[in-house]
Amino acid sequence: MPTLTIDEREVSVPAGASVLEAAEALGITVPHFCYHKALGAVGACRLCAVEIQAGPQHGLRMACLVEARDGMVVSTTAPAATGMRRAVIEYLMLNHPHDCPVCDEGGECQLQDMTVAGGHGVRRYRGKKRTFPNQELGPFVEQEMNRCIQCYRCVRTYRDYAGGHDFGVLGVRQRVAYGRFRPGRLESPYSGNLVDVCPTGVFTDKTVRFRARVWDMQCAPSVCPHCSLGCATWPWARYRELLRVSGREGPRTNGFFLCDRGRFGSGHANHPDRPRTPRLDGRELGWPEALEALRERLTKLTWAHGPGAVGLLTSGRASLESARALGLLGQALGGAPVVCEPHPRRDRAVRALVAELGQLGRDQEDVRQSDCLLLAGLDPEGEAPMLALAARQAVRRGARAAVWDPRPDRLPFPARRIARLPEALLEALARPDGRAPDGLEAAERESYAETRAALQAAERPVLLGGADLLGPRGVRLLLAAARALSRPGRACGLSLALPGPDSFGGALLCPDGPDADELLAGIEAGRVRALVCLEADPLSEHPDPARVAAALGRLELLVVLDHLPTASAARAHAVLPTTAAAEMDGAFVNHAGRLQGFARVYSAGLPIRVTGQGAHPPREFRPDTPGELPQPGWAVLAALAGEPVELGELRAELARSEPRLAGLAGLVAGGPGVQLALEPSARERPDTPAEPGVAEGELALLSVEALFGSEPLSARAAPVAGVASEDALALCPADAARLGLGEGEPARLRSALGEAVLPVRLAPGLAPGFALVQRRFGGPLEGFAPGGGPIACRIEKGGAR
Amino acid sequence: MTLWRSIRGTLAALGVTLKAIFRRPATIPYPEVKRVPAPRYRARIVLTRDPRGGERCVACHLCSAACPVNCISMQAAEGPDGRRYAAWFRINFSRCIFCGLCAEACPTLAIQMTPDYELCRRDPLELVFEKEDLLVEDGGKDRDYDFYRHAGIGVAQARGEGSEEEPPADVRSLLP
Ligand code: SF4
Ligand code: SF4
Ligand code: SF4
Ligand code: SF4
Ligand code: FES
Repeated sequence: MPTLTIDEREVSVPAGASVLEAAEALGITVPHFCYHKALGAVGACRLCAVEIQAGPQHGLRMACLVEARDGMVVSTTAPAATGMRRAVIEYLMLNHPHDCPVCDEGGECQLQDMTVAGGHGVRRYRGKKRTFPNQELGPFVEQEMNRCIQCYRCVRTYRDYAGGHDFGVLGVRQRVAYGRFRPGRLESPYSGNLVDVCPTGVFTDKTVRFRARVWDMQCAPSVCPHCSLGCATWPWARYRELLRVSGREGPRTNGFFLCDRGRFGSGHANHPDRPRTPRLDGRELGWPEALEALRERLTKLTWAHGPGAVGLLTSGRASLESARALGLLGQALGGAPVVCEPHPRRDRAVRALVAELGQLGRDQEDVRQSDCLLLAGLDPEGEAPMLALAARQAVRRGARAAVWDPRPDRLPFPARRIARLPEALLEALARPDGRAPDGLEAAERESYAETRAALQAAERPVLLGGADLLGPRGVRLLLAAARALSRPGRACGLSLALPGPDSFGGALLCPDGPDADELLAGIEAGRVRALVCLEADPLSEHPDPARVAAALGRLELLVVLDHLPTASAARAHAVLPTTAAAEMDGAFVNHAGRLQGFARVYSAGLPIRVTGQGAHPPREFRPDTPGELPQPGWAVLAALAGEPVELGELRAELARSEPRLAGLAGLVAGGPGVQLALEPSARERPDTPAEPGVAEGELALLSVEALFGSEPLSARAAPVAGVASEDALALCPADAARLGLGEGEPARLRSALGEAVLPVRLAPGLAPGFALVQRRFGGPLEGFAPGGGPIACRIEKGGAR
Repeated sequence: MTLWRSIRGTLAALGVTLKAIFRRPATIPYPEVKRVPAPRYRARIVLTRDPRGGERCVACHLCSAACPVNCISMQAAEGPDGRRYAAWFRINFSRCIFCGLCAEACPTLAIQMTPDYELCRRDPLELVFEKEDLLVEDGGKDRDYDFYRHAGIGVAQARGEGSEEEPPADVRSLLP
């Protein structure tokens, strides 16, 4: 721990820290451009000059490059240092355009700040400015190369941190430019981070080009609702419209960065067809009348047919408090049980995890620090995009990685791959002797043995998995493998991607209720006569949409609480509009069991862009806000139960009734959150039966999530809807040849999930015997709910599309 | 004595009045006659045009940020030529205190104060001026300034064609 003196104050920092970081520890910000906590220092910008007055070095030095040493005396304010910084700013401005007024970075521009802070107000150089051609980089990122100051942050983020290949630095001398070799859409799923890291306006968010200045926007610390990782975000809203999302520092979760789904998927809150008024039997009503009428009908049904007459269904999208309020409504209705996920297999997988996880849960930071990773049945790009980046950081530090998955490998790091379903391999791994399963090829057996040995030898091994492919049995096997690989004093952790941002919390609240299939059976048998869906869309999330449609048709009353225009909401007798995450306070429990709060960014309402129809806001005085009726799900449900509560009361009640959620009482949005104290449940673990699987010689269909278009929230965001990949049926070339299908030819796909005619895409990385589709809302694959694992399917040369 | 003093006082005052009858009056019979204040007088705000007749305002939000009473609001948008402009622009003159900070902040010289002080309306909503009410067909003060000619990002002229710019660099060339 070297101790040094900076600006006449002493500070001790960990060995290896730079002078810049030591100053930061004292609260002194040394101006800088190229240094970034996550990217480190490269000494490109020369702005962080300080004077070292005593110690192992002397004179003007770059604070980000000099390691803090014992006895150093550093001045950040010495005339030599400030003079150098002023000169550097003036040099950087030589070529900088004169365009802050039309630059979207203005107001949050580090270069602007430094120029003003450095006192450089008048241009002395009279020569001409260098210019660059710009590139078209796709729908998300706008480039204005003339504004660049050559700090290299963009390349270091895109290539080094995120593993992208299609972006780099070109040119020599003062013609150094950053972009793609040819114009085109940035391929990395993490391209949006360019917007955050570029300290100038070279890369700005194209989806909100010219829409707002940073000082006019509302923002509050939030948690990304687009997958189960719970990355830390800042959503930004203006004029009742959720405009953009930027990365917030989440030391245990995302670090600094976000995936493009989380960053550009927020437009669902502005969806034009989003429910905004309570609706009952086709009539729009005010809240009091709607709630009164529904309460009466639900109570009557309960009286007439017993508490089981009302079914309650939620999903991983709902906040923890809303899920709890649904439970309270169940209690008010005499004990109606809550089903916590519309997809029964997903439901059981999540509950298996929550019941047995104990202290084995690992978050993104644990993954980044791990030294050996196994990805079993996980395709991070679709299910938990930032998990791939976390794993990449571990691999960059020397961790070994292996992947057991039949899907094509899209990981941004090298990994030893066994292209098979992971179940048998995990079963072997969980056995004490760990003998490789039968039926592996020699190379696979060797790879398996090597991975097992590496996991056993590692200090901080983590098993990563995806609940969708693994299913309840796979999750149990993964847990068993983690336990088998743990030794006293050194646990093997586990990180499982779940279906929704609060899947974990929802399962925590209803550990052993019925699942969606039991609910459907109840409806079909006529026992369940009414269904309340809280931010759940059984029609698109259940693996048997036809059965759901028939069951919903039998209901006397279908109540849907949602902020999305879902298929189920379109069929409901009553729709109660709820708020999106950015419009409410609440909490999610992420995939690793971390409870995180989010704060209301703005109040729900019709955007001025809508009320003004693109022109100025309407010239009228009115006391209310148009479209202000959506309420948080928990508030609607509590009112429906006849017991309106405050969020604080609800949280206090939840903390009392569920000791594992005790942290909820003191939870603050924007804080690090609370890791839940989980104990593996002592209950007997029933042996999960093997799934029916797929007969020999038949193709196994995997319906999975894609980065864009599969997740219900972001799929309805305008910027993302335009980039979702084309619907296609992926086959490995050998299977396609056997079926007589070539690239792009139409094929008819028949499965329990439904039928579709799709163009064939040859995927050499896909294991033989598998067919792969990515669910996409708004297309023929909308009903192909992910989460069902491999199912039987028939593929033939297809008719008309 | 008192009486004499009273008479004298009355006559003197009458004299002053009589003299003033033949002098030019200091007041003006507004509204039949209107006074023209100095050009730098700060009254009704206008949005001016550049020498080519285009809207000068680039919706940069600096005037609205500078405004101490928050009476300016706008929405920026992108034109087909990549030009940033105000889709709508509103000044609420019932709140404006005519401090001139917006005009001082404006980097494009778009927003300017004029000497038109006649800004009374019976309905406060009529004091809410929209862009069409604010735009004038004139450059106002500093008629020759054209922001986009100097911005250096290739909107008013092709990239690198401005008087202060080099032609675009060839980033693929490795020649020194
Ligand atoms: S990058 Fe910063 S300094 Fe440059 S034009 Fe944009 S806001 Fe101004
Ligand atoms: S584009 Fe931005 S991040 Fe990249 S070098 Fe230039 S200023 Fe730095
Ligand atoms: S990884 Fe998940 S939580 Fe994180 S930003 Fe992406 S979608 Fe959001
Ligand atoms: S400061 Fe000038 S250019 Fe900017 S928005 Fe106001 S009027 Fe328009
Ligand atoms: S921050 Fe040290 S040189 Fe850029």
